Amino acid sequence: MALATNTKRRMVTASLVAPAVAWLFIFLVLPFIAMLVFSVGERAPEGGYQPAFTFAQFANLPSRAAAFWNTLFLAPVGAFICLIVAYPVAYYLAVKANPRYRLLLVSLVIVPFWTSLLVRTYAWMYLLGSRGIPNLLSMVGFDDVRILNTHGAVLLGIVYGYLPLMIMPIYVSLEKLDRRLLEASADLGAKPVSTFFSITLPLSLPGVMTGLSLVTILLLGEYLIPQLLGGGKVFFIGNALVDLFLQSRNWPFGSAIAVTLVISVVFVLLIAMRIAWKIAGTRQVDLV
Amino acid sequence: MPKHYRENAPITAAQFMDELMRLKRGSVSRRHFLGVTGLGLASAVLAGQTGLLSSPAFAEDLGKQMSIATWPNYHDPATFEAFTAKTGVAVEVNVFGSNEEMLAKLQAGGTGWDLFVPTNYTISTYVKLGLIDPLDMSKLTNYSPATETARFTAEGTISGTTYAVPKNWGTTGIALNSKKIKTPVASWKDFFEVAQNEADTRTIVHDYQLTTIGSALVSLGYSFNSVKPDELAKAEALLVKVKPHLYAINSDYQPAMRAGDAWMTMCWTNDGAQLNRDVPEIKFVLGKDGGEIWSDFYAIPKSAANKPAGYALLNYLMDPANAVKEHIANGAPTTDSRVLSLLPKEITSNTIVYPPDGQLTPLEFGAAVTLTDPARAEVMARFKSA
Amino acid sequence: MRAFISAVYVFLYAPIALVVLFSFNAGRNASEFTGFSTMWYGKALGNTFLVAALQNSLIIALTSATLAAIFGTMAAIGMERLGTRTRAVLDGLFAAAIVVPGVVIGIATLVALVEVFSFLNPLLNAIWPGANPPQLGLGYGSIVAAHGLFSMALVTMIVKARIASLGRDIVEASSDLYATPLTTFRLVVLPQILPSVLAGFLLSFTFSFDDFIIAFFVAGSKTTLPIYVFASIRRGVTPEINAIATLVLVASLMMILIARILMREKKTTN
Repeated sequence: MALATNTKRRMVTASLVAPAVAWLFIFLVLPFIAMLVFSVGERAPEGGYQPAFTFAQFANLPSRAAAFWNTLFLAPVGAFICLIVAYPVAYYLAVKANPRYRLLLVSLVIVPFWTSLLVRTYAWMYLLGSRGIPNLLSMVGFDDVRILNTHGAVLLGIVYGYLPLMIMPIYVSLEKLDRRLLEASADLGAKPVSTFFSITLPLSLPGVMTGLSLVTILLLGEYLIPQLLGGGKVFFIGNALVDLFLQSRNWPFGSAIAVTLVISVVFVLLIAMRIAWKIAGTRQVDLV
Repeated sequence: MPKHYRENAPITAAQFMDELMRLKRGSVSRRHFLGVTGLGLASAVLAGQTGLLSSPAFAEDLGKQMSIATWPNYHDPATFEAFTAKTGVAVEVNVFGSNEEMLAKLQAGGTGWDLFVPTNYTISTYVKLGLIDPLDMSKLTNYSPATETARFTAEGTISGTTYAVPKNWGTTGIALNSKKIKTPVASWKDFFEVAQNEADTRTIVHDYQLTTIGSALVSLGYSFNSVKPDELAKAEALLVKVKPHLYAINSDYQPAMRAGDAWMTMCWTNDGAQLNRDVPEIKFVLGKDGGEIWSDFYAIPKSAANKPAGYALLNYLMDPANAVKEHIANGAPTTDSRVLSLLPKEITSNTIVYPPDGQLTPLEFGAAVTLTDPARAEVMARFKSA
Repeated sequence: MRAFISAVYVFLYAPIALVVLFSFNAGRNASEFTGFSTMWYGKALGNTFLVAALQNSLIIALTSATLAAIFGTMAAIGMERLGTRTRAVLDGLFAAAIVVPGVVIGIATLVALVEVFSFLNPLLNAIWPGANPPQLGLGYGSIVAAHGLFSMALVTMIVKARIASLGRDIVEASSDLYATPLTTFRLVVLPQILPSVLAGFLLSFTFSFDDFIIAFFVAGSKTTLPIYVFASIRRGVTPEINAIATLVLVASLMMILIARILMREKKTTN
């Protein structure tokens, strides 16, 4: 009897997780194995893949050093600028804003997500091109300002695209903050600034870490923003990768880069978790 | 086909005879004849089909939509609108910046294109890889081999089988804004020098290995088609050196040139003609040290989902009456003497479109090897990610 | 501080304002405003390919988000009942599905499917009894699968966090009161996790609807709205794109509004 219930219980559990497991296996594990196999292969004469066993693709990785460097430099920098812009906004929303309008203001942060990022980035192409902001600047005397197709434009696009993703987790962590702590601190004579640094900031760090790692990880695979605002000159790994599949038709090398990219992401994530553990003093931190 | 045919209105006796003669000559299908003359309606009613009442007589053959893969600014949108009005088939236009990109898409499968525009040097590779169909010439009644220029059509036919028919020919030259750039630019050598000086951060090169690497090779005194490792290495060094001075790496340079964001670009004949027509200070010059002469073709992918529509559009485009409108709109020189005779003087005398023969002499056709050569592909990819 | 906050909102909304403005442009160019007109709304809705792309995007987003919500929730519940080691493996796989960049998911799925298809299609040809054997290819299925992967992992994460915060005691209390597991699930667990399932569904829908890079690789000949927009950036954007983007924005704002009104009503009736 007990055995029967146990078997039944197992059957139920198995059928609950079966679809998800099958999905993960077919569309995550299998493609990743395919990438691994391809990454030790060779480019076929007309492009594509032909079987081989060579590490030549991995040996060729340094030829994309600039793309890796762009990504590993601009992704954290972009995430950090996002943080600097996002924190005051999140703080204002969670602590200062009139509760009557709070929900409205928070929704307004999310609403941009409902317009396609592509369309919004295209709007930036116009705003940063010579007929947009540079044109306005030339009216007040700053002639020949170049923004579009520079690293600066890509950085701006990154901050724009990912700002809401940074604001939200920080807002959530600040909102949970017990306001009585702030009052107590003020009652005990602490200046607002020291209250902020000794109470508010430390307590919001989990949100900050979530935002930073979320944005950094997404940026590591970014393709569109550099493509549209960088004029095909500013290359992220994502762009190098797309280029290898859609122009050079070098699937094995593309696979090797993809594998390396995944490893870099895992690496960044592990570092972020380490830092988060240290900050929180516990291992109970969910970054994603 | 005039609109009233589609509505099954009666036609005049003269039109009827004309259509009958065309049917006898075999230039129209029986279905077309029946549809046009209204006999289709009668026979459809007899056969118990009523669907013909609501749609053009041959629409069921062609489906509702098709897709073409082509190049930026390469067609008159009105052409496709007219085709849709005539046949009921909506045309989706996909634009690509290089032959490599088209090939990559076809190799990965599932493009959905029913017609596409490959350049002369790629066709042998498409045939070798089995990616395109031999053309059924009986469906291309408007195509006339006799009036075509052999120099521009030859590469569409491989061991006697025609796989592609020409769209037009052209050159790859330099477009520059003469109000902004005072240094004379007459060669690719000049191009890369000015790009680093007067046109600093104002120059565009193609996102396309053939022309970008080819022009760099030419500027160094090598062949446009070179695949020699040492020559490619020098071209790569030049490109990487120039890269910080570029405005963009993009095959669709018209918007930036028109907006004044860019002052100089690698440029195809048709874009040069369009830019010069609308913005007269933008001039188009051919490199006296060399460069590319090309012809673009129409071909039908083996994987096309709607081949009847692909053929119908191709045949429509081959009709000189339509081709001449396309020519006037996009400015690429024709390969067909029938079209040439219909062109207005201001186009045939436009030296951007029809340059003097002497200027064409140093130019080279792209070579098939450049499409598949791994070194050229890798040089381009390294240049872009540098 | 206020000035800074306002500036950030202006920053967030400037491009959107521009998009909406140009949707009313009379000219055919999305870069020069030549007069007011609503004609591009008509053109956009009359454009077969644009409407088809919108439909495709809606179908794909709905399907992938629904499947993700169902399978993700099932997995979240099922994982509670698994042994620690199996659970850790699954946790790792779900985390991977979330953090592996979209561009890699797209390319890896494409490469794997192309290989699988080129193996299976000849096989299908050989064993198919009829004249026209079906051919496997990229399309709805592959996009839904690739989007669903990320979405399902997302739903699982969200629902799992909710289950963890529930505490075992109410479940135990329920079974102490001789409720069958199914009844416990229906009456106790489900109402508690439903909001998080819904949140997961909405996030999944948004993700799928806006995704470009994954679909770009695995869409085959299908066109989604972002793919259409990307293609039009290359061939020259007409205000049609602005019009459709504005319509999508308005539709989603209305949905948010309706949801809020419904929630408010529910609160007052409670």
